[in-house]
Amino acid sequence: MSNINGKVYAMNAVTPMKPWKTWILRILFFVLWNVKPLQNDLINLSFIEFARWVILPRNRFPYLGNGQVKEDLKYDYLLFFSNFNGTWNQYIDAFSAVLSNGLNMIWRWSEKFPGSVPVTPFKAYIAQVQFDTDYYYTAYPYAAANDLKSAHIVQSALDNLNQRAQSCTPEQFADAYLNFVLQVQAHLGETGEAPVVS
Amino acid sequence: MPNQNGTVYGLTILSPIIDDERATPSHDLKIREYLATLPTGEESPFAIAPGTHLARLVVMDDVIYVGAPSCEEHLRSKYLVFESNCDSDMESYLRGLAASVPQHLDAIWSHCVGYPGAANVQAFLDYMTSCQIETTFFFAAVNNKSVTETLTALQTQRAVADFIACHQGMKSEQLQKEFAEFMRMLKAAPVPRPGGQAPRRDIKTGGRNE
Amino acid sequence: MSKLNATDIQGFVLRGYNLPVARYLFLQFEDAQRARSLIVRLLHKVTTGQKWDAGKPASTLNIAFTHLGLVALDLPDATLLTFPVEFQQGMKKRAAIIGDTGLNSPEHWDECWRTCPIHAWIGVNAQSSQALDAASADLKTLLEETDGATIVGSQDAAAVVIDGKPTTREHFGFIDGFGNPDYLGVERSSQPGQGKLMPDGSWAPLATGELLLGYADEAGELPVAPVPHLLASNGTFMVYRKLHQNLATFRAYLEEHAANYGGGKEKLAAKFIGRWQDGTPIELSPDRSDPSIAQDPTRSTNFTFGADPGGTRCPIGAHVRRVHPRDAFGFASKLIDRRRITRRGLPYGRFAAEGEPATDEEDRGVIFMALNANISRQFEFVQQQWIEYGNDAHLGNEKDPLMGNHGGNGRFIVQGDTTPINPPFICGNLPNFVELRGGDYFFLPSITALGMIAMGLVDPR
Repeated sequence: MSNINGKVYAMNAVTPMKPWKTWILRILFFVLWNVKPLQNDLINLSFIEFARWVILPRNRFPYLGNGQVKEDLKYDYLLFFSNFNGTWNQYIDAFSAVLSNGLNMIWRWSEKFPGSVPVTPFKAYIAQVQFDTDYYYTAYPYAAANDLKSAHIVQSALDNLNQRAQSCTPEQFADAYLNFVLQVQAHLGETGEAPVVS
Repeated sequence: MPNQNGTVYGLTILSPIIDDERATPSHDLKIREYLATLPTGEESPFAIAPGTHLARLVVMDDVIYVGAPSCEEHLRSKYLVFESNCDSDMESYLRGLAASVPQHLDAIWSHCVGYPGAANVQAFLDYMTSCQIETTFFFAAVNNKSVTETLTALQTQRAVADFIACHQGMKSEQLQKEFAEFMRMLKAAPVPRPGGQAPRRDIKTGGRNE
Repeated sequence: MSKLNATDIQGFVLRGYNLPVARYLFLQFEDAQRARSLIVRLLHKVTTGQKWDAGKPASTLNIAFTHLGLVALDLPDATLLTFPVEFQQGMKKRAAIIGDTGLNSPEHWDECWRTCPIHAWIGVNAQSSQALDAASADLKTLLEETDGATIVGSQDAAAVVIDGKPTTREHFGFIDGFGNPDYLGVERSSQPGQGKLMPDGSWAPLATGELLLGYADEAGELPVAPVPHLLASNGTFMVYRKLHQNLATFRAYLEEHAANYGGGKEKLAAKFIGRWQDGTPIELSPDRSDPSIAQDPTRSTNFTFGADPGGTRCPIGAHVRRVHPRDAFGFASKLIDRRRITRRGLPYGRFAAEGEPATDEEDRGVIFMALNANISRQFEFVQQQWIEYGNDAHLGNEKDPLMGNHGGNGRFIVQGDTTPINPPFICGNLPNFVELRGGDYFFLPSITALGMIAMGLVDPR
């Protein structure tokens, strides 16, 4: 029962929203999805493996009959599930420092959101709305998002080198090999265990 | 398509948990107990069934009261959240789970309202569909590689680093020969098992997983 | 922001004294009342941040306390509990978190760090050994008169003297002491490159609250601090670490590996550290040291890594790039502004110049002290994430080549290009060049706070 598996942390958060605000958020997400450059900062922060927001309207909680009591809620809910690398503090510090506008844009519609700057009240809010993971699986616990991206770069460069290697002279190969090394030299970090957090 | 990002699918399932006052321990606690001892590494059901990059199971007890002037309200059921980042589409993924690890699915979801069991695959799929919530926005750092491709690439990365380190300053002919041999061995190496830990190192360099 | 009252802040925080010798004494208190009477006697001796218009004093004195020390001084529980968790635990308990395992684990530390609870640190810096001994003797007399504390440990340190002059070299032969951050309101000779990077490429001082409690920090708020305000304001936290240097191993390793490196031994060492021995940053001068840069304050710390994303000038994992990434993570320097520390300290042990025989066993190294408003967010973060780990630099689990706790298995990659004197090069089987031999976390109070502690007047609310 842990939020952490290897190098990745599973954060779950649920925040209430007044239903009329939900529509604004849907439009914002639509724009964010379709205007790709807006996602650049998120991509460059490079410590999120996967993240999702799920708007759960108050009348869309699954109802399967069979004795289940139907929900009767005033608020819509925004669920947030993140799979990120690094510590809880590091994650929130980084977002507060460089992506505060984006965070505000998404969470300002949630009740009592204090804003993502300054960071201490923001952390207090997250601690309040976060709930813990019961079971967390990752196919590659020893690899962070950066490791994954690097690994794919190395694989691709190696495949290219291998294709050429079949048909070159040793000198040509030595050249191609040097170029290969230069391509991958910043992507060879060893994978392994994450630093201990507590 | 918000559930899909590239080749990765963001599956969000919210299953209402049976609320039975006579059950001791209650159904949500039984789920928690089972999940507490379920392996999260190579023996995980998600390592055995194909296609899961990252997945989590969370018992959501209630919504959270953020304080006045917000209204206090409570859920009438608890929900089991299943969030998965997987290869392929929802149906193939769930079929894979039902085929490989039905006993775990049953052990967990039998505590949920209306769960038909994994034996009847169509009923199982219908049940999951009725519990599916659409992912509104799905972000993926790498959205175009399968689990197998990823594990292979990680293995390659490690092998390449070792190869380069051991072949510095080598003459061209020998380098080319040894490279060919290296590629042969790498291609023949089995795909590392999903959920596995990194290869052991002799000296603990300071890291501990939970 | 309000002007700093230098007379209330311990001088050690505001500036490095540049005095050539030092002695660090570690005290243990037995009885709160007697300990407090000792502090009362010390109050007017503590060196403040006041400027030395009449020239440097013969010696200086500063004092700091561990959490155990504050407990021993009988501060109220309600105050003691408001100190940050990592400070309450002390550095020994944090070993797993900051990577002090294997050769660096507490079981290898010097005896006084392993066994006795240490309550206070007294730092005496002096112009000469005579002045140092005189100041120590005075202190010992005070201790006897008040019976306020026992000395359970003592550490001497001194600037390396070459050709009769004190230098800022450390034992591996490198000029040290660059890059201490500039803070708003702290007067010192500032240099471009020490502060934070602005969007237009200029450098500005960091918020005062990154160093001193009670002032706004880079996150736009007052840093988390113990209560009451008066106890915390103008104070800071200090991390003390005794870092033993394995000089023989370092020299042997370089000798062995440089034989295969196209750039030569001096360049390989510079690639490890990010500066040449004389301090020239390799980012500015990748092929040779350059005194015109190293000795020019407008240039010696004035560089960024944005134009070198591939690490071909300064390797991505080099020491200075790891501990002060500047703009290497994007977003100007926003991701690192709250991860800066102020370093103080001196080398200890006999200096052996290049060519002189030296062994690993000989007692030599550096006394490393880091000052910061928040130990876990600043020092511990850098140690845990940037020295003993490499993910932020996209280097996976690789550790700092110089300081990392490698255990014989470390790897360092020198990124290169197609020129023969700058080839890509992998150094494997890195041993521990530096080993931790002890240390702890201390709170360095303001003069006002010191008075409150001395008179037993700390009131939580």
